[in-house]
Amino acid sequence: MSNASSTTAPHADAHAHDAHGEHAKYPFLAHHFDTPFQQFDSAKLGMWVFLATEVLFFGALFVMYAVMRFKDPYVFSFASQYLDTIMGGINTCVLILSSLTMAVGVRAAQTNKKGLLSICLALTLAGAIGFLVIKYFEYTHKFHLNLKWGQAFYQPVTPEEAAQAKVIIDPADAPILAMVAPDPSLGAASSSAIASSASTVMPPLDRSSVAVPGAGPDGLASKTMLITADTPKHIEHSDLPHLLDPALPPGVHRFFAIYYIMTGLHGIHVVIGVGVIGWLLMVSLRGGFNSNYYTPVDLVGLYWHVVDLVWIFLFPLFYLIH
Amino acid sequence: MLNLIPNFLMQAESDKLGSAFTPGLPNTPKTFWLPEGASTIASEIDWIFNFINYINYFFFFLVVSIMLYFVWKYRQKGRDVYARGPSHHLMLELGWTILPTIIVVVIFFMGFRGFIDMRVPPANSYQIDVTAQRFAWSFKYPNGAVSNDLFVPAGQPVKLIMRSEDVLHSLFIRDFRVKQDVVPGRFATLWFQADQPTEGDKFHWVFCTEFCGTGHSLMNSKCFVLPEADFKEWETEQARWLDKIPAEELYFKAGPKLFARCASCHTLDGKLGTGPSWGNYDGTGNVWERNQVGTSRKVDGGKALSDFIGPGKQYETPEGYLRASILNPGEHLSDPYGNAMPTFRGQITDKGIDALIGFMKHLDEFDAKGVWLKAPPAAAATDPAKPAVK
Amino acid sequence: MTTLDARPISTPAPDNYLTHTRGLMSWVFTLDHKRIGVMYLFAVLSSFFVGGVMALLVRTKLLFPGEVSWMTADQYNKAFTLHGAIMVFLVIIPSVPAALGNFIMPIMLGAKDVAFPRLNLFSFYLWVLGAICAVWSLLAGGFDTGWTFYTPYSTQFSAGGTIPVLVGVFILGFSSIFTGLNFIVTIHKLRPPGMTWFRMPLFLWAIYATAIIQVLATPVLGITVALLVIERSFNIGIFDPSMGGDPVLFQHFFWFYSHPAVYIMVLPGMGIISDIIAVHSHRHIFGFRFIAFSSIAIAVFSFLVWGHHMFTSGQSPLMNVLFSAITFSVAIPSAVKVFNWLATLYKGSISLNTPMLYGLSFIFLFTIGGLTGIPLAVISTDIHLHDTYFVVAHFHYVMMGSALIAMIGGLHHWWPKMFGVMYSEFWGRIGCALVFVGFNITFFSQFMLGSQGMPRRYYQYQPEFQIYHHISTGGSYIMGLGFVITAIYLIHSLFAGKKAPANPWGGASLEWQCSSPPPHDNFATTPRVGDCYDFSAVRWDEKEQGYVVDTEAHIASANSGKGH
Repeated sequence: MSNASSTTAPHADAHAHDAHGEHAKYPFLAHHFDTPFQQFDSAKLGMWVFLATEVLFFGALFVMYAVMRFKDPYVFSFASQYLDTIMGGINTCVLILSSLTMAVGVRAAQTNKKGLLSICLALTLAGAIGFLVIKYFEYTHKFHLNLKWGQAFYQPVTPEEAAQAKVIIDPADAPILAMVAPDPSLGAASSSAIASSASTVMPPLDRSSVAVPGAGPDGLASKTMLITADTPKHIEHSDLPHLLDPALPPGVHRFFAIYYIMTGLHGIHVVIGVGVIGWLLMVSLRGGFNSNYYTPVDLVGLYWHVVDLVWIFLFPLFYLIH
Repeated sequence: MLNLIPNFLMQAESDKLGSAFTPGLPNTPKTFWLPEGASTIASEIDWIFNFINYINYFFFFLVVSIMLYFVWKYRQKGRDVYARGPSHHLMLELGWTILPTIIVVVIFFMGFRGFIDMRVPPANSYQIDVTAQRFAWSFKYPNGAVSNDLFVPAGQPVKLIMRSEDVLHSLFIRDFRVKQDVVPGRFATLWFQADQPTEGDKFHWVFCTEFCGTGHSLMNSKCFVLPEADFKEWETEQARWLDKIPAEELYFKAGPKLFARCASCHTLDGKLGTGPSWGNYDGTGNVWERNQVGTSRKVDGGKALSDFIGPGKQYETPEGYLRASILNPGEHLSDPYGNAMPTFRGQITDKGIDALIGFMKHLDEFDAKGVWLKAPPAAAATDPAKPAVK
Repeated sequence: MTTLDARPISTPAPDNYLTHTRGLMSWVFTLDHKRIGVMYLFAVLSSFFVGGVMALLVRTKLLFPGEVSWMTADQYNKAFTLHGAIMVFLVIIPSVPAALGNFIMPIMLGAKDVAFPRLNLFSFYLWVLGAICAVWSLLAGGFDTGWTFYTPYSTQFSAGGTIPVLVGVFILGFSSIFTGLNFIVTIHKLRPPGMTWFRMPLFLWAIYATAIIQVLATPVLGITVALLVIERSFNIGIFDPSMGGDPVLFQHFFWFYSHPAVYIMVLPGMGIISDIIAVHSHRHIFGFRFIAFSSIAIAVFSFLVWGHHMFTSGQSPLMNVLFSAITFSVAIPSAVKVFNWLATLYKGSISLNTPMLYGLSFIFLFTIGGLTGIPLAVISTDIHLHDTYFVVAHFHYVMMGSALIAMIGGLHHWWPKMFGVMYSEFWGRIGCALVFVGFNITFFSQFMLGSQGMPRRYYQYQPEFQIYHHISTGGSYIMGLGFVITAIYLIHSLFAGKKAPANPWGGASLEWQCSSPPPHDNFATTPRVGDCYDFSAVRWDEKEQGYVVDTEAHIASANSGKGH
């Protein structure tokens, strides 16, 4: 729909016109552009290039996600159950609706409907803020459950859990040999030789240079350590501290690290979106946009669609994989 | 391709080598480009390198001589000249696009074959476990022997299984043309076969080539290639050397040898290294005196050593504290040092720790390099001739 | 359009961009691409000085194989890291696109300014902010990771200034992205009528290819250093092996940017050289399309070869083989360029001015730099040469011998245009000769060092290497002297240089058709575009003491296709 701009922008064939005349006619035309069309077109191409960098920016994180998930898929499918699909789903709807209002707003600006533009921008702004509010509740809930990144993930929250965790995190009990993967390049003949050398090659448990995580990371504890005979099989995930979940595989903290990084970066983009849409709304209420000059509305619209698009990928990749 | 069968005929001339070496004399470079190769794959790699080099010489001199000739031949004569040269020539341009393509494809396949040879270790390889720690290598042999320098049997493929305790390291034996990064959390392997035993004071350098911090440039060892029989003898001897030393001789026989592993971070002369000096600095006394009276620099950002050592405290005796410092160094940190020392759990026996503590107790009997000053002249002459091993 | 020739194009305008407005504020808040370019130039050259001093300190230390009292191992590590980081992020990456490109690109294109002047100024201040972060890092204890920031060293052990410098790199990345974005849009949208893609000077093609890499590769660097900061601050376990993370993933991310970054550095240099060689040979560039498309080819291939930095890091053998194979593909467009430059010399009328001397030096040095890349692209020989001085020498031949030498050459080429003064040709040649000779002594000896097996980043080394280090350090002093002489005569020319004509070398591209220095808006009227490599209408004018272009003949020749 943004292609409509090329037909509505004035003087698309203005190359041959006298440049000074154009500048007198359009006060917003910068001195180094010949026509408003050229200026609009440049801004639009610039925005597309910027969005390409945004895609690469998130793209690196999606690659990281892929690598980590490929490495241990069970971690992701386990940890994903702690995410609230309903809240995530509502957020997805909110963002899609705000994208719609944004698109209608751009069209309203092109067709000079100033009132509709302001209403649409206000709705979009409300959607963006609503998304952030829901996200805030999601985050605080997870913090409350101690679903955090890094070692903080392994801090027990309840006394019951602390009693259990003490057993869990004593590294001296960790069955490290079970974690040693045989070197595939050796062939079957020498695998016994490797098994005997493995005990000498594994890193010592109490390596001094790196703080020991509580439990879970590769090589420090296995899920068998965490299973206790009398722990009931969980029905509702939030009823149970995550460390006592019998299915807890090692390394779940990595899922939450990636979750916070990716949704956090997306959240920062939403915050920026709130800022610029708010600014658009202010200008729009003052009547600053018309069918001749609506470049900022169009560009912010593009930006907002990309922010939505990123969430469209984030939502299934995090919430819908268990 | 490679000779995968160990060459058992390589045992001649083993007698004059014995097990005594004098490390330290530099091997002086005799070659212009690559140093002399000493492994079975070296010749193949050198051949590829030289082949590329000659191609490079050819193209370099071609480009430069054409350039210089044109610059001289078509130099500007007078101010007002417009030169009328051809602006394109499709066949010529296609030619110098396609010709380099063919050449690099050929070179790629040569390098590819050499790489496959380097990566696939023969099945009967002798395995050595390598541990990389800032800033030293430690080699552990199948019979339990441990050494700071790498000893390998001649004429037999050797496979190193490497791991890192802390950061990235990279093991590089230049004469063997092998190199492999050691990534923490992963096993890295590397293999080579050296047919020619090292003679006399000769050895092959083992370098760390991945930047690992302050002592990166000191993280190098020596590689000695021993004839098969000598190697077996050395291996057996190395596994038991500490056990054979009587307790009262431990501190001057084993102490300095063990200290060689500590010397990359700790000095004996009071100069501050990566870690605190064992010698006397800032008038606080040497390491044993500091532990006795507790006049160290601040520990754990404010406390003194005496807060930890003594009856009823965390450590009953200074020995206990020193032992813990070797096995669990991160627990108490001496200002201004960070948590940089790796643990030596699993690498040093109790007897070795006794030897080191004895060495600390008698530090005044040693010079700044750890040489025992009270040694009888004859012993002093033979002792340093042995490679510093643990 | 016919009223354009009322004012002879070569007559100096009374007002130029330097005198258009006055006062400090007129510079600080300027939106003029030329002033921003000059500010970049000043900033980049100042950083070059600091990075150069670091290099000389490192080289001086390496005169001695053992410890020296005046520089500890930690100080040495910080010095070479600072040298690398400054030279890469503060000097070479912005040198040609942001400094020279900002000044010359819109004029060459026939535009009044870049597409987004405010964004341009913002990029510059991001650069300044990044440089401030580097200083902040020094105050916070310096950083000693090497410019590659390999984890886990950079996340667990390195000195206290690591986070500030990572923040700085993040900011500099955005400076670079915005510059690239600006240039892409400018080249697409602000071309005057007649400036078709195939009439664009090759410098613009190179800048365009560079901008594509900047825009597509730099975000990955940004997110990578951001992850590093998060990892170091919160220990999240993405890269930390003890938490199940993967340090090699960091290397993949880092080189996904940093290998294309090599072409961000060298591609604009190649563009400069194409222009210098054509202009100073006074003849049409040979094989315009091959050179232009080879720039684009290099930009595309550059994204596919990052793995060759990791042949020894334990990635799978299959990946090693694939990356090795693709790496060779970069050699081909590079070779095409060199042969085309040689063919441009053929039947030319070659004037050996200072810029041309730099141009010929470039061909010499780039040939060495490129050819020595071959044993590094072959896996089996790279295993021996990896992380040794051979690599150090190779990338200095490419980054410094090629990219920076081209930048200095371009600076001499456009100096009369930028400041309206001529420098001393005699001292220019002396300076160039010293830099050339010093450079080769410094770095050729390092090829030998590396193939003998001397690892890089070593504070102490085995005495057998000392002879090469002595040669290398001696060469670096000669090179340093060359740069000092260059700085002196260039600064001297600003105050006492002869006034420059509009077109001192006889170029036919648009920047030579406006006065020196250019007026505020570059062109009073929309310029008319001919073939910028067609020199048939260029004549020496005694009165101007420079060349003049007969515009009518120039355009007519281009339209009839006779210039080819």
